[in-house]
Amino acid sequence: MKYQGKRLHTLLAGEYALGLLKGGARRRFERLLMEIPALRAELTTWEERFAAWSLKLEPVEPPGYLQWRILGRVRADARPRREVLRNTFWRTWAVAATLLLAVLVVAQRMTPSAEHKPSEFALVSDAKGQPLWVISVHPEANRIDMKAVTPNPPPTGKSYELWMLPGSGNPVPMGLMNSDGLASETVTPELLQKLASAKVLAISLEPQGGSPTGLPTGPVLWTAALVAS
Amino acid sequence: MPASPEHIESRNHRLADLLHGVAQGRQAAFQELYGLVSPQLFATLLRILKRRDLAEEALQDALLSVWRNAGSYSAEKGAPMTWLVSICRYRALDALRRQRREVSLEPMLEGVEDGTAELAGLVDESADSDFISKAEERVLDDCMGRLNDGQRSSLKLAYFDGCTHEEIAASLGSPIGTVKSWVRRGLESLKRCLEAA
Repeated sequence: MKYQGKRLHTLLAGEYALGLLKGGARRRFERLLMEIPALRAELTTWEERFAAWSLKLEPVEPPGYLQWRILGRVRADARPRREVLRNTFWRTWAVAATLLLAVLVVAQRMTPSAEHKPSEFALVSDAKGQPLWVISVHPEANRIDMKAVTPNPPPTGKSYELWMLPGSGNPVPMGLMNSDGLASETVTPELLQKLASAKVLAISLEPQGGSPTGLPTGPVLWTAALVAS
Repeated sequence: MPASPEHIESRNHRLADLLHGVAQGRQAAFQELYGLVSPQLFATLLRILKRRDLAEEALQDALLSVWRNAGSYSAEKGAPMTWLVSICRYRALDALRRQRREVSLEPMLEGVEDGTAELAGLVDESADSDFISKAEERVLDDCMGRLNDGQRSSLKLAYFDGCTHEEIAASLGSPIGTVKSWVRRGLESLKRCLEAA
């Protein structure tokens, strides 16, 4: 049977949505999509019809670490992108400058002596840009300091837990967050080494005392990039 | 959760809001979107890719592309969930094509069968979908019911398992020419039936 014109386009759109067009046919169809607006609408209609099949599948929760990995990538992606958004350009710089100042002031206050200078910082702030914690890494002292800038206690019966997101593999637990003042966590040299290659920290909401599984179980509330001091 | 039309509509409205937030670079919106849609998208990807590692990789790629391109979403591209499912499925199809270049047809088809058995517990159709209304579901089932067996199986093998014409032919034990015409006639009669409904 010969198919022509609109009827052929409808069929091609259906086959494309199913994934049945291959090689040259698929590329020709993608080229046609750019030329013929009505074809885009045709394809969307098929996608809509077939998506209904996907939406009937029993949902499957992806593993917890996947969310961490994806949010870490989003976080790393977010910084350069914000700078090109014209309407928020100056505000972004103003906020960044204020935060940097906050980091420097707090860092100076929390560094007890010159020989244990931190190698890296992370600033954790809430959605409004209000700084919550400054986290600093002190490799010579095998120590991580967490300074609560704004008192931020977890809900009753819960704890905030700090994690590092290595380049690959599962998040690594780094201890519970303090809700005020300064707290220190002793870490092994191996962990510090891993931390040097990780660029993102995250804080999740966990049952009191921390995650029972060694992997995050609650939602990721904040992520923060590590920057060299 | 019962999926009343109002519930579906408010869910779609929320998803469109979140996509708008993501387009503005709001990470909180992305995180909420992830919580709402990732289980359904992951189920779709597991069904077509059969392997958890591939499904995880595809979900990560697809959602990063959503993070970067949420601004290109508009109602013309369908309901938010349609758009998201399509992004995931096209990623999965690309992954299957890459795999096919490395593996011959035989092991591929064995993989399809093994995987289907292994994941049988995961692919049950949900009693109450959060994203599709009972009425929509009934119309689709009814229209699919009017296709002949060859047409119905061909469309489903292509959609759910990402099978090519050749793989469908091998799996149903029919000539490729027959499968191609089942697909086209199946599509035409499905379209006619859904448009009349």
